[in-house]
Amino acid sequence: MLALLTYDLLMTKYIIIRTLWIMIIISIILTLNFTLLKLAPEYPPTTKEEKTIYYARQVSDGYMTERIEANPLVMNSLARNEITPGRNVYFKNENTRYRIYEPISIAKQYISWVTNIVTDWNWGYSTRVQVNVPVFDVLKDRMVVTLKLNLIALFFYIPIGFTLGIIAALKKNSFTDNVISLGVMIFISIPSFVMMTLLLMLFGYTLEWLPTQFPSADLTGSIQFTGLILPVLGLSFGSIAGLTRVTRAELTEVLTSEFLLLARTKGLTRNQAVIRHAMRNSMVPLVPSIIGSFVSLLSGSVIIEMIYGVPGTGRVYIRALTKNSYDYNLILGTTAFYTIIGLFAVLLVDLSYGIVDPRIRMGARK
Amino acid sequence: MADLRKENFDKSEFEFVQADKKLYDKKLETKPIGYFRDAMSRFVRNKTNLVASSVLFIVILLSIFVPIFSTKNSDLLEERLSFLPPRIPLLEDIGFADGTKKLVDQPADPLNIDPETGLALPMTTAPEYIILETLENYYKECTEKDEYCVGGENQLMIDRKTDKVAVRSSAWVSFNKMMESKVILEVAEVPSENNSRVQLFLGPIMNEYILIYEITEPGTYTIDPWVEVETLSAIFNAKLQIAYTSEDSTTKASIKSIEVTSNNPDIVANNFYADGYKLSQFALIAEDGYAGTWVRAYGQRLMASYRYDKYSEVFGERTVLAFSAKEYDALMIEYADVCVQSPDPDNPDGWLLSEGCPIVKVIKQNESVFVAGVEYYSYNLVLDYQIYMGYDEMPYFLFGTDQAGRDMVKLIWIGLRTSLLIGLIVAFINITIGIVYGAISGYYGGQVDIIMERFAEIVGRIPWLVTLSIFIALIGPGIETLIYVMVVSGWIGVASVTRTQFYRYKGREYVLASRTLGAKDGRLIFRHILPNGIGTIITSSILMIPALIFTEATLSYLGFGIGHGQSFNILGIKMSGVSIGVLLSDGRNQLRQNPHLTLYPSLIISILMITFNMFGNALRDAFNPALRGSE
Repeated sequence: MLALLTYDLLMTKYIIIRTLWIMIIISIILTLNFTLLKLAPEYPPTTKEEKTIYYARQVSDGYMTERIEANPLVMNSLARNEITPGRNVYFKNENTRYRIYEPISIAKQYISWVTNIVTDWNWGYSTRVQVNVPVFDVLKDRMVVTLKLNLIALFFYIPIGFTLGIIAALKKNSFTDNVISLGVMIFISIPSFVMMTLLLMLFGYTLEWLPTQFPSADLTGSIQFTGLILPVLGLSFGSIAGLTRVTRAELTEVLTSEFLLLARTKGLTRNQAVIRHAMRNSMVPLVPSIIGSFVSLLSGSVIIEMIYGVPGTGRVYIRALTKNSYDYNLILGTTAFYTIIGLFAVLLVDLSYGIVDPRIRMGARK
Repeated sequence: MADLRKENFDKSEFEFVQADKKLYDKKLETKPIGYFRDAMSRFVRNKTNLVASSVLFIVILLSIFVPIFSTKNSDLLEERLSFLPPRIPLLEDIGFADGTKKLVDQPADPLNIDPETGLALPMTTAPEYIILETLENYYKECTEKDEYCVGGENQLMIDRKTDKVAVRSSAWVSFNKMMESKVILEVAEVPSENNSRVQLFLGPIMNEYILIYEITEPGTYTIDPWVEVETLSAIFNAKLQIAYTSEDSTTKASIKSIEVTSNNPDIVANNFYADGYKLSQFALIAEDGYAGTWVRAYGQRLMASYRYDKYSEVFGERTVLAFSAKEYDALMIEYADVCVQSPDPDNPDGWLLSEGCPIVKVIKQNESVFVAGVEYYSYNLVLDYQIYMGYDEMPYFLFGTDQAGRDMVKLIWIGLRTSLLIGLIVAFINITIGIVYGAISGYYGGQVDIIMERFAEIVGRIPWLVTLSIFIALIGPGIETLIYVMVVSGWIGVASVTRTQFYRYKGREYVLASRTLGAKDGRLIFRHILPNGIGTIITSSILMIPALIFTEATLSYLGFGIGHGQSFNILGIKMSGVSIGVLLSDGRNQLRQNPHLTLYPSLIISILMITFNMFGNALRDAFNPALRGSE
């Protein structure tokens, strides 16, 4: 009873510590990103009306201050560029006066930013991609697309990777194993975008079996399905190879372990021993590695989205990073999305390891 | 062996070994095997890895020597050589990579028929270089208003503000009651709701267009104007006007053809027919409340697909207008021994030149212009491009050429060299940082270690998207950003391996002995511990190089890395801005038309990555057999 209580306490403590640590990392990364992006020159919207709305919002959201300059002397020298305005300062000519917008210190802007997010879920407004639309509104539909694509890829590659890994491990050093291992080597090495381009060239352009662009949402019928095949394949090849390799390594290790020999000595057939003992034991460390691979899948999908024209977060990120037309709020929003998902996956991995392996949970460092 | 089975040994058969002689250490009968020899023997045992390593070695050698020895163009703009397909000796004989290019969806001219095959020739390319056996004609749907887009329908669409739209012929048609003039109107689509009607008007008669007939259902209608409107005079000239009116402005009506017939088909003015393109030339009317659009739909365009001999076209003879006299004179001097002039019997203005001269014949000398007292003039002439570009025979571009006419073979190896160099340099930086960081963290341990580990974890958890966006915003795309992005989180793996090695060796007796003798930390780290662990650290970091090449290619492909036209000096090595990623990025929009731009760089980078990974794995397995099979 006492042992159980201690176990619970330790587990809770472990979970709390890990969660807090991940939260700290998330906030450090987001803070770093915010601060460094604020140091770069700004790219406000281009047209006059959009600018007016944008700067008014910057003031109301607490990133800038607004003041009126009606002194004709100052106005003249401003007009003649005699006074160089500070960085990211904007002045609007209103005939008889200037309306001057000045950014406040980055530390204060940071506080406003955090307050806006925490209280209003306001991640700022897009400045270039979809001008003056809230970043979260730009991203929310795209997040769905990206996550959908990645989850489909996940459910596609897990069974295949497992099966291939198990076959390779059971037939270790046979011809089948060699073929699978060579395939793993090849697919793990070829960059995903090269793979995607080759697939697109073969099935899209040369054979014309599959669409060469991600079908837009208003198209109906089988094209919605066929349009998913190429990006899912492009995303999965590397992951399948990775999972096969890990599964093979884990299962090979378990197959040579003593408890499996014991199971055989007790009279179990090879199949029984493999399925009931070896598989179960090798699966346990695989679960965290799958969660981990989801993260690399997600960040790898940025380039796949761009190649195939998938309207997801990756593509909008690349657009927001167009040279000399940077959309910082959107970049912040997108990277926050990837950071948070990635680190929560890390948290899940940590916790699952904690559940699986008591030594980690008990707080043993070394 | 038989002796061993003997069981009863007699005591006399035994004797004491050491009875009367001294024992010395015996010499080893086998040769001693050192650490590296041992690793080497393990390395060569795996034949697959040996093959992979040899391929990698060849690839690296090629990337060094091809750019040096290839004479083909890799940096100038040679517009004429743009997008040449691959042409490979031997393979071209079996019809693969023979310098021809498959062209599809080229608009064909239905009037320009090839006499042999009876097929229409394309309008876009010169007919003499088409490989006729591969020529195919087919129709493709089109929506353009041009004369080669035939048949189909034309659609009347109403503007949102109004309820009617009309088009009118520009030609006048004569109507004659005696000749039984009739209008035949074929309507393909008209909605049945919302009071939608297609109307036929004739006019202007007394400055007015007279409504003749209204159609509410699709079909072919033969309309006798005098039956519909009795007030019409027996003979009149009129334009044809088709209108569509509906209460729902989102609908449209579709007209297939309109025809005016008479009982005497020979009189042109009394007969009129318009469909497809001709119908689409009816002008939209923008008066009397008519507003809308007149759209072409379901038209058919004759297309051709065929293989095209690009090389013969590019390196064949071609007429050039206004060829500068200066260049002509230079050529004449350069090829003085082969260029012999002879009169042209067909053309008194020009002259012929002998075989082997870059200029085949001169058509005429153009008029001179005097600018500031200097005479300028030019020739119209026919050039033999093969000789003109300095090739004795038609050249082989093994991997084709890119948009600027640069040889892909040379570009790929130059790109590979850049990728490899960047990979090596960044790996060197990462390993250095990693070793220093890991050494400090591992050697000192305790609080220092914990803090440094936490820092490394945070840095390692930053997604590459965040790093990329920060550097792009602060520095902009380019080689610096590329290197920074690869360095920021690249050293962490090395640091952790180094740290483990330090934990392993720092407690050893020889370290303690040295410390007792008064050695400082630096000496212990760099003279005693590091040399023992460095083999492991390096071999496990070798896989970093392909990973870095991967990242470089990805970033350059996305346009955040290097690009054409850049060049930079790193540690005295001059690099051009071409890398495999850049080449792949060039080919991205040419997947359909010029797949060779993507195919060959993809193959080469794949080979490089595969062999490099296999080599790295083999090296690691050979040096650290304990790690075999992990990962």
